[in-house]
Amino acid sequence: MSDKRALRTRKVSERMAVVDEGERRRVIQARLAKLEDDNHREEDFGAGGSDDEYELPPSGDEADEGGPASGRKKKKVKVGGGMRKTRGMIAEKARGPKTFRDFVEEAELDRLPEGEPSYLTAAAAPAQTAAPRKFCSVCGGFSGYTCTRCGSRFCSRRCHAVHTETRCLKFMA
Amino acid sequence: MQDVVVCDLGGGSVKLGSARQPDNPKVFPNASAKHKGERGTFLGEAMLGMTDVGGLALRRPIDRGYLVAWELQREIMARALKSLLGTLQLPACGLVLTEPYLNLPALREAAVRLALEDLGFASVYLCPPALCSLRAHAARAPALPANAAGCALVVDAGFSFTHAVPCFDWRVLRPAVRRIDLGGKALTNYMKELVSYRSMNMMDETYLLEHVKEQLCFVSQDVAADLALASTRRSPFRCEYVLPDGLTDTWGHVRTEEEVAAAAAAMQAARAGQGPPPVKQPLLQVNNERFMVPEALFHPSDIGMEEAGLAETIVQAVRATHPHLHALLYSNVLLTGGTARCPGFRERLYNELRPLVPDDYELHVHAAPDPALAAWQGAALLGASPEYAHLAVSRQEWKLRGVEALRKWDT
Repeated sequence: MSDKRALRTRKVSERMAVVDEGERRRVIQARLAKLEDDNHREEDFGAGGSDDEYELPPSGDEADEGGPASGRKKKKVKVGGGMRKTRGMIAEKARGPKTFRDFVEEAELDRLPEGEPSYLTAAAAPAQTAAPRKFCSVCGGFSGYTCTRCGSRFCSRRCHAVHTETRCLKFMA
Repeated sequence: MQDVVVCDLGGGSVKLGSARQPDNPKVFPNASAKHKGERGTFLGEAMLGMTDVGGLALRRPIDRGYLVAWELQREIMARALKSLLGTLQLPACGLVLTEPYLNLPALREAAVRLALEDLGFASVYLCPPALCSLRAHAARAPALPANAAGCALVVDAGFSFTHAVPCFDWRVLRPAVRRIDLGGKALTNYMKELVSYRSMNMMDETYLLEHVKEQLCFVSQDVAADLALASTRRSPFRCEYVLPDGLTDTWGHVRTEEEVAAAAAAMQAARAGQGPPPVKQPLLQVNNERFMVPEALFHPSDIGMEEAGLAETIVQAVRATHPHLHALLYSNVLLTGGTARCPGFRERLYNELRPLVPDDYELHVHAAPDPALAAWQGAALLGASPEYAHLAVSRQEWKLRGVEALRKWDT
């Protein structure tokens, strides 16, 4: 019995031990995408960070009856007038305004004739003359070591301790 | 002559003015801001008058350098135009508007519609900012042979991205334009992430951090040495930023020696039992972030981006042009855009570029006197010149011929 349990814990810890290459790549991409955000968004853990900002999407009938809706909301409904909200409109509102990425997709730049310059062809090619340098993810100095679990860099035992406590990807995987 | 309004529509800030007064454009954030949990919205120009810049939620009409939220942009523009024009009548005015490189046709159309239909200008000319900057540069240094040929490699380090734009004969060589997806905004967010992890949570203070970045960041000339220096106890780069208190100090400031001494004295007095304990100011500690943040632009691979650094991107752009142009382009590299204001930018770029450029070519890196305004100043020159009349598309033309009328900008 006790053998079995030991086996299971080992299995779990092994799976938690290493974050694979794809996942690491994904985390880096997500971080880079965040650099283009206007505002910081709380990571979506269910109900969201701040309660007062959280609003349910209006579901047609309820909004018309007023009820707990605020004055501002009522006004919006009035402006909306007799127009019926289609499902598509609600979905569009939830998606928010169109982003540049949407426009790029719509423009179908990949269908342009060969050699025609476009947004996609203008992206700089990967570096040929310099390799990525390695900096400590905690203090920013040059780093000599790699976290065995998530592949982040660190430079000293102290930084490693901070890293495992705070940022190590073990919880993201 | 027709009155022409000149507008450099940047992702970070709008530069707006009349071509008749080429010295003092209005510069204001291209955004709307709202305090979290409050109603009032500050629109564009109104953001300059804010006394509390903490905890702002921003909305920007420009996404990744391209104008996509026309509604918001129209409101921001309409407001600023109202106070700019005074007696002028919009329907009689022309407009020079900057346009991102390799714009999508749909977005170009929408921008023209915004100018002619929504804002009601008589005519409009959309112009790539690189050509405007080059025009201003050529007016300052007409003796340069490259300038006489309308030839330069314009580095436009803006808010949304950074471009290397080869120009020849007053035209952008479109197939050779190269882009790094890193600009002032990404750098601000990167700095925000770093200081939030290392010093104090500033994740909701994007607008404030932008200001801190502009005050403190510089481009290191020798990263390895500076980094080693920064990790010592007496790091010359370490400094503390006093965050705004929302009352007397809108933007906060770098903590001065006197303040440190005064705080220490007050502390000692309090210890000795004379006087109250000093009020603790919220302080942001900054050290190697000051140069590691702009560093990302020179080596994007450091933060996991696959694109080449700025120097190599310039070389890529030049190599994509005709070999006969290479010498001319390298002899006239022009630095523009708000991010290029960072101290040490020009020197560092020269030092990185020199080893990559064949040694029989001359290399000159010119920095515009005010990189953020360079495009606007050039556009103002264009607006005041008779060329404008040939280049602009009038409202009638737009109504009659629609998209066809815009073809003349494509050459």
